[in-house]
Amino acid sequence: MVRRATNAEERRAYLILVLPAVVLCWAVIAFPTAFSITLSLTDYNGGPLFGGREVLRFLGLQHYGEMFRDRFFWISLKNNLFIILISVFGQIPLGFVLAYVLFRKLVGLRDLFQTMIYLPTVISTIVVGILWQSFFSPYGPFTQLMQYLEPGWENTLFLNPRTAILPVLFVMLWMYTGTYLIIFLANLQKIDPQLIEAAKIDGATEGQVLGRVILPAMSGVIVTSAILAISGSLKSFDLIFAMTAGNPARRTSVLSLYMYDNAFRGAPDYPLANAVSTFMVVLSLGLILMLRVLEKRFGGEE
Amino acid sequence: MRSTLYETRRARRAAGSRLLRRETGLLTKVILYAVLVTFTVMTLCPLFWLVISSFKTTQAFQMDRLGLPERWNLDNYPQAWRIGKFGTLILNSILYTSTSTLATILLSASAGFAFAKLRSRWTPLLHGSFVIGILLTIQSIMVPLFLAANLANLYNTRLGVFIVYTGISLPIGVYLFTAYIRGLPDAVVESARIDGAGYLTIFRRIILPMTRPVATTLAILNITATWNEFMLINILVSRDALKSLPVGILRFSGALSSDYGKQFAALVIGLLPMVVFYLIFRHQITKGVPAGAVKG
Repeated sequence: MVRRATNAEERRAYLILVLPAVVLCWAVIAFPTAFSITLSLTDYNGGPLFGGREVLRFLGLQHYGEMFRDRFFWISLKNNLFIILISVFGQIPLGFVLAYVLFRKLVGLRDLFQTMIYLPTVISTIVVGILWQSFFSPYGPFTQLMQYLEPGWENTLFLNPRTAILPVLFVMLWMYTGTYLIIFLANLQKIDPQLIEAAKIDGATEGQVLGRVILPAMSGVIVTSAILAISGSLKSFDLIFAMTAGNPARRTSVLSLYMYDNAFRGAPDYPLANAVSTFMVVLSLGLILMLRVLEKRFGGEE
Repeated sequence: MRSTLYETRRARRAAGSRLLRRETGLLTKVILYAVLVTFTVMTLCPLFWLVISSFKTTQAFQMDRLGLPERWNLDNYPQAWRIGKFGTLILNSILYTSTSTLATILLSASAGFAFAKLRSRWTPLLHGSFVIGILLTIQSIMVPLFLAANLANLYNTRLGVFIVYTGISLPIGVYLFTAYIRGLPDAVVESARIDGAGYLTIFRRIILPMTRPVATTLAILNITATWNEFMLINILVSRDALKSLPVGILRFSGALSSDYGKQFAALVIGLLPMVVFYLIFRHQITKGVPAGAVKG
């Protein structure tokens, strides 16, 4: 009798405690995702969904075909790939080296260095974007600096479709290396110091300690970071929006910006935007799956 | 036996640190310092350049884009403040950041408590949905979010912004709180039950005060993310009076972009709150980042 009362109370408490978070989270994340997948298969292009004059037509995968035929989609996807490359081969190794140097106390002033390297990450991406855009623009100090080295140098960085992505990638390297530094530093500190000590006593050099003790212990974290960098590339939006807005000729666009352009710039094309959105959701769910598999394979952290 | 072991261990440790000192020779040290100083300079120089330029008139900037201003011009700041309507925007930013952070902490703590300490067969499904929410990129759903906000009549409302900001912060919050509360001993809840306390009372009086460390981490993560958030506010709101700081800063890169002095002043205004916040809370921030990094 008493037991049943407790159960009823426990259920009621569970509902009261869980429901607000679940409703809010599903309303903001799960519903729009499902909504978008549904709409991507129809010709819905804004306006009231029910009671409107036009009836929703089911078109199947037509918008996906449209998307895959659009060369700007592929340009955007390629730029996402560049961002992945700069993260995996730039930010992660640099972040690791810096974290290692600070962790092994190879230098002094560690607190200062850590603070300075991480600082760019906390600044608003919009501020960072405009700041560097001004810096690299033909009217900015970068031109002046280059002209000291090479008189008459002409700054076409942002005008040339081939080079416009370079400043963006540079700023990404500048901005996010600190994140990996902090992640690696936190995980390095979890390694048992006696392990390193023992290796040292056995006569291992610094390089051997790194290769035989630290890297194996960190492999899970490195893999996780790489996956995070890959899925993080889907998040790039603000910085490019502020730096180039995808220009020139949409050559610096990324998937999220491509979707934004189709939905909010010029005549709205919501069906196509929803197809892009679905594509990104599938990609990001695929990455989660990959993360799970790789984490199992490499032992993962925690 | 024991003491000899200890002695050898200490001797070994001393030997170890000697080894280390010998290996990091002068050249290595110089290289390492050079790299770290380069990074530091790379952080500081653009920021110094920005601050210095914000005191130049547009003409002075065009004459020399690198040097110090001949005359320190203070007018840029009040003018940028007025043109950018920064008073309203900063108030909005404070409002959005504080309400959504408080709501996130409260709602994730309560859900986390239920997931960790109450029994229900729904927990795997519901908790799992939050975990998927962590890994799903929010950028991918901005268009449907905009359409949904329109259909729900929440477009151009503060409530809409609040709901979205809280909703997207909940997954990581619920994840962190559940893990933390799971680590608290069950006896805390059980003994309070025996004393006759209801679950809601236990949550409010006992669990919530105990979750202070994780609440701090979440608050730090959330404040930085929400304060700097630009993409969603940009699509959820079109009225100037409802926008937040980053939207106002962007205003200076469009039509006003040739008015360099004011643009740089606006950037400094946008930069300052976060830099001050970071310098005050930098230890908590860098401690919270790896915890939030599951969000990636």
